[in-house]
Amino acid sequence: MSTRTSVDIREIEAFLYREARLLDELQLAEWLSLFTPDGIYWIPIDETQDIATHAALVYDDAARREERVYHLQHLSFPAQSPASRTMHVVSNVERLAPEAGSSDILVRSVQTIWELRAGDFTQIGLGKIRPLVGTVRHELEQTDDGLRIRRKTVLLIDRDMPQANLTFII
Amino acid sequence: MPATADLEFLSVPREPSTGDTGRAASLISETEHRFRVHTAAYTKAEVLELEQQHIFRRAWCYVGHESELTKAGDFKTGHIGDQPILVTRSEDGGIHVMLNRCPHRGAVLCREPGGNRRALICPYHAWTFAIDGRLVSVTGRDDASGYSEFFEAPEGLYRVPRIETYRGFVFATLDAKAPALLDSLGRAKILIDRKLNQSPNGTLTIRSKPYVGIYEGNWKFHAENIIDGYHFMYTHQSFVKLQNKFGDTTGDFGVHKGGSASEMKKIRTRGSVWGCEGGHILNQKPAIDTQEMLSGPFAEYYQSIEKLYGAEEFQWIFGSNAGCIFPNFGMIHNQIRTWRPIAPDKTEVRIYLYDLDGAPPAFNEGMLRSQERFYGPSGHGMPDDIEIFAANQQGLSASQLEWLILERGMAAEKPLGDGDIEGLPSSETGHRAFWRAWRRSLSSGSGQ
Repeated sequence: MSTRTSVDIREIEAFLYREARLLDELQLAEWLSLFTPDGIYWIPIDETQDIATHAALVYDDAARREERVYHLQHLSFPAQSPASRTMHVVSNVERLAPEAGSSDILVRSVQTIWELRAGDFTQIGLGKIRPLVGTVRHELEQTDDGLRIRRKTVLLIDRDMPQANLTFII
Repeated sequence: MPATADLEFLSVPREPSTGDTGRAASLISETEHRFRVHTAAYTKAEVLELEQQHIFRRAWCYVGHESELTKAGDFKTGHIGDQPILVTRSEDGGIHVMLNRCPHRGAVLCREPGGNRRALICPYHAWTFAIDGRLVSVTGRDDASGYSEFFEAPEGLYRVPRIETYRGFVFATLDAKAPALLDSLGRAKILIDRKLNQSPNGTLTIRSKPYVGIYEGNWKFHAENIIDGYHFMYTHQSFVKLQNKFGDTTGDFGVHKGGSASEMKKIRTRGSVWGCEGGHILNQKPAIDTQEMLSGPFAEYYQSIEKLYGAEEFQWIFGSNAGCIFPNFGMIHNQIRTWRPIAPDKTEVRIYLYDLDGAPPAFNEGMLRSQERFYGPSGHGMPDDIEIFAANQQGLSASQLEWLILERGMAAEKPLGDGDIEGLPSSETGHRAFWRAWRRSLSSGSGQ
């Protein structure tokens, strides 16, 4: 596994756009392949607290990501009947200095994720577009197969406020 | 001199009259083999007004846990029904429950959900209150434009008249004449006891910020559902399938026991439901895998609990115990739940995950992750319940059909001798007890 320190910002942006497209088009098996085997998908309530003793909105290792994708793709359940449609808008992409001792490429972006559950739009909860807003930190590793996610952290601006249905992938 | 305002001319909102409570009682239709609840009980603003008046202003309501207020000056905000409150800890260790409102001109004192303050200072005119609620200074009191010698200064913030703490759980009631907390809890006290007895120290600590959801459905759907043994295999059918495929690998940690659907169903039909006269409900199932617990990776911990309480009680302590304390407090797995009505079709639910003090850190972490997996807004279970509450409320807009059916398991009940009733695990025995207490509260004007 080789590491490269000089990754063009365009390559990073292209990677984020691709991830966004895979999520919006529900190409979720391919989305799974974007992570390193030890990768973590994390949506904290309070990112300053120790994950071992504090609950998160999402804290998915590989097995839990696989379960989440299986749930969405192969099972029918009330919270996704009808299913969510999403549109991830990625902007303000910036490469930041990595954490001390880390060789990962640290990228911050601002994302607005528009979500809609279609269906009988006369009913509660259906037919309304709602926005989720936050910064997303990607800790990326350059591998022989290209960039891979070691950690994706979504910091919703309302992460410690009431949350509605978040059973789709952010 | 206390003043009494005549509010009769205010049509909206109004203070409900005695006649209204009698009419509200007719929203339940009960005969020997039939138990029906009227759609209006879930949909009408007038009903919620009566509930606020006759249930939430009279019942013991959970307002917080002592582990949330460990130091002098700690506070948290909350609600008793529709009344915004502050819960504080003072220097002498005392816990105080007061309305979050300056008695001067009404501004709220705290707009944060919690924190630590040396004093409570009103942002409007800086009237200052000690953390225990006493008024300590009125700015410019002696100014020429200030207050005269006849000024009847309030003693402090409006104090919720009764506070009682049971094993770290703080309850308060706006009814000065309410019976003692433990009398009100009755047999349902065992819910709190068994949950706490899972800790070698007999205590718990809340560390995480709660999961908070606001759903578009009536509050009573949640009270019913937390102990509803009937819906799990259907509403959570996809979770049962996930559990079958992924349960061990993603760390369910024994929270939802049984790998296959038939095994889960078998476990879920053990035990019983208690529908208590006070409206409290317990759904309890003894653990079946106690030998695995006592010899598995946490053997030492489990053995310490078995030693304290004996083998028989051990299987109940670590069984599956879910309960609802009337009207809006619940416990299930390792979590405390509260729910409060915001409107007839809008309810806030809070889920506080907790650690068992003295249990191995890896045990607490396992419980935390497994509950996150099911109960969070991205979980594989609770969002389905929330969806159903909204679907129920949506369905009730078809109000030409008037009654809901809640008579499941009515023929398989036995009285426990003191007004409490025991039924089968997937019955609606508990729901009926809740509704009878609801009817009694609204009929007599006394919830207890």
